[in-house]
Amino acid sequence: MSKKLKYLFFICIGLSIVAGFFITHEHVHFWWEKIPVFDAIFGFLGCIIIVVGSKALGHRWIQKDEDYYD
Amino acid sequence: MIDVVPPAFIFIFGAFLLPFLRERRLRQFFQLLIPVIAFIDLLYMPNGTYWVYNFLGYDLILGRVDKLSMVFGYVFVIVAFLGMIYALHIREFGQHVAAFLYIGSTLGVTFAGDLFTLFVFWEIMAVSSVFLIWYRRDKAALDAGFRYIMVHIFGGCVLLAGIIIHIANTGDTYFSVIEYGGLGSKFILLGFIINAAVPPFHAWLSDAYPEGTITGSVFLTAFTTKSAVYVLLRGFSGVEILIWLGAIMAIYGVVYAVLENDIRRLLAYHIISQVGYMVCGVGLGTEMAINGASAHAFSHILYKALLFMGMGAVIHVTGKRKMTELQGRGLYKKMPITLSLYMIGAFSISAVPLFNGFISKTMIVAAAGELHRPIIHLLLHLASIGTFLHTGLKLPYGTWFGKSKGETDITEEELEAKEPPLNMLIAMAMAALLCIITGVYPKVLYDLLPYTVYYHPYTPQHVLSMIQLLLLTAAAFWLYIDKLGGEPTISVDTDWFYRKPGVFILWLCSHPLQDIRLRLQRAFTGVVINVAGLSKNPVLIPEIIVRNIQLKIYTMFYHNSEPPEDNIKKINEVKYKINVLKKISYNEHIYRRPIGAGVLLAIVFLFLYGLIYFIKQN
Repeated sequence: MSKKLKYLFFICIGLSIVAGFFITHEHVHFWWEKIPVFDAIFGFLGCIIIVVGSKALGHRWIQKDEDYYD
Repeated sequence: MIDVVPPAFIFIFGAFLLPFLRERRLRQFFQLLIPVIAFIDLLYMPNGTYWVYNFLGYDLILGRVDKLSMVFGYVFVIVAFLGMIYALHIREFGQHVAAFLYIGSTLGVTFAGDLFTLFVFWEIMAVSSVFLIWYRRDKAALDAGFRYIMVHIFGGCVLLAGIIIHIANTGDTYFSVIEYGGLGSKFILLGFIINAAVPPFHAWLSDAYPEGTITGSVFLTAFTTKSAVYVLLRGFSGVEILIWLGAIMAIYGVVYAVLENDIRRLLAYHIISQVGYMVCGVGLGTEMAINGASAHAFSHILYKALLFMGMGAVIHVTGKRKMTELQGRGLYKKMPITLSLYMIGAFSISAVPLFNGFISKTMIVAAAGELHRPIIHLLLHLASIGTFLHTGLKLPYGTWFGKSKGETDITEEELEAKEPPLNMLIAMAMAALLCIITGVYPKVLYDLLPYTVYYHPYTPQHVLSMIQLLLLTAAAFWLYIDKLGGEPTISVDTDWFYRKPGVFILWLCSHPLQDIRLRLQRAFTGVVINVAGLSKNPVLIPEIIVRNIQLKIYTMFYHNSEPPEDNIKKINEVKYKINVLKKISYNEHIYRRPIGAGVLLAIVFLFLYGLIYFIKQN
C-alpha cells in the first residue's frame, strides 16, 4: 500500500475519533454508548478477538485436511 | 382492472413452457419476460385474502396479501429477474426450469394463507432447488446435493408433523401467529428454523451452496433462508428463544468465515451470520424489529446475490474457487469491473453508510437497544465487525490482491482471466445500483415495510459509530493481514454428525447387517429346498424321516472317532437308501391305497377338529 493511502487512512481514523467528541448522543440505551470512542475501541478489540479466537478454535478443533471426508 | 393470477403460477407455468422454446433468443426473452410479468402482477394485487379453494373440506388459500408478504414478494421477483440476467448465457434449459420452479414455489410460500398450501410449496422448493446444485455435475456437487435434499426432506417431515398436530389441536388450518408452546408449534418452528439455517441445523447451507452451479447458487442464496425468515416473522415473532439463536447464529457464521478458504463457502457462512440478524429481529418482535428483519431480508437478498455473482464470475473465468489458489495472482488487473461491483456488495453487507445494509441492519441493532438487551446488542455489533472483516476486507484481498504463498505452481501469467460475459456484468451492475438506491434513499424500502417506520438511519451518532467501527476493524485487519490469508483446510461443522457417522452406518449396513441377512437367507433357502424335495413325494416323508433317525443313531456315538468297519457299511447303506428314496417321485399307480385309508384320514382329521373345538368350548 502506498504511503499516501496509509496517511489518509490514519487521518480518517483520527478525524472519526475526534468527531466522536462533538456529536450529540440522542438515543442512548446503554452507558457505553456515551463514550465517544467506544465504537473505535470495540471495533479494534472485537476484530482482534474474532481473528485470534476463531483461529485458535480452528487450529485446535475445526480445521481438517481437505480430504478429511473422502 | 387487470385480472391478477397467483404469481407462483406465473413462474411454474413459465417452467413448463420453457423446454418448448428451442430458439435461443426467444428463450432468453422469455426468461426475462416471466419475472417482469410477475412484477406487474404483484403491482396489481390488492391487499386481502383471495384465491381460496376448497379441497377435502379444507380451505386452500393461495393469496394472502398484506404488507409483510408483499415486501418479500417484491424482492423475490426482483432477484429472480437479476438472477435470470446473470444466467442468460446458460444453454442448458433444465437449469432455468429448476430455477423457475424454485422461484415459483417460494412465491407460493410467501402468499400461502394456510398451512397445507405452505407445506406443498415448501416441498417443491426443496426438490426444485437441489437441481441447481446437481447441475454442476461433479461428484462433490452430487454428494452435497444429496445431503442437502436429505436434510430438507427431514425438515419437511418435521414441518408436516407439526402442522398435523397443530391442526388436530386447534382445528384451524389458517396460517398466522402460532402460539409457541405446544408440541405442534415446536415442530413447526423446528421445520422453519431448519430452512432458516439456524445452528445446529445450518450445515446444509454452507455444505451445498458453494457446490451449486455458478448461476444456480445466486438463486439459492435468495430464496430458501429468506422465505424461512418470512414464515418465522408471520408465525413466531416475539419468541424469546429466537433472539438468542439469532445472535449466536450471527457470531457463528463469522467464526467459520475466518477459517474458510473456499470463496463461495465463506460467503455462505455470512448468509448464516446475516440471517442471524433477521432471526434475532423476529425474536425481538417489536414493530421496529419486525420492520428491521423485513428490511434486512430485502437488503440481504440484493447484496448477497451481488456478492455471489461476483465470486461466481471469478470462478467462471478462472476455474479456481480457493483463496490459496487465487491470492497473489494480480486478478484485480484483469477484472477491475467485477472487483468494483463486488466491493459495492461488500460495503452493503458491511453496513457502510450510503449502502443498503446500513439502513436495515442498524434497525435491528437499534431494536435490541430499545428493548434494553445489552448482550444481544453487543453480539450483533461484534458480528458486524466480522462481516466487514471477511466480506469487505479478507475475501477481496485474498481473491484479487494478496501475496502468493507459492504453494501452487501457477504463475500470474498462466492464470487466464478476463471480465465475465456481459450479461453477468449487467446483472451485477443492476444489483449494485439497487443496493445504492435503497441505501441512499431508504424511503423506497421503508414505505414497503409492514409497520410505519420511525427510525432514522442517518443520524450523526449512527453514521459516526459505524464509521469508527469499520475503520478500526480495517486497522486491526492490517495488523493480521499475513495471518488471515486462506489456509488449505476444510472446517468440520455440524454436518460432521451425518457425514462421519454416516460412513460408519454404511459400514454397519454393508458388513454385519449384510452378514446377518445372508445367514438368514441361507437358512431359509435350506428350508425351502428341503420342503421342495419332500413335497416331490409326500407319501415317502415318514420313511425318509425314519431313515434319517436311523442314520443319526448310527452316527451319534462317533462324532470324534472313526466308526467301526461294519458300522460304516451300515451308514453308507442308509445314506444310499435316503438318496434313492428322495429321487422317487410320486406316482399314483405305485401308491394305490384302499379307499379305507382315505376314510380313515378323514375320520382322524374330523376327530382332531372335534377335539380342538371341544377343548375351546371349555
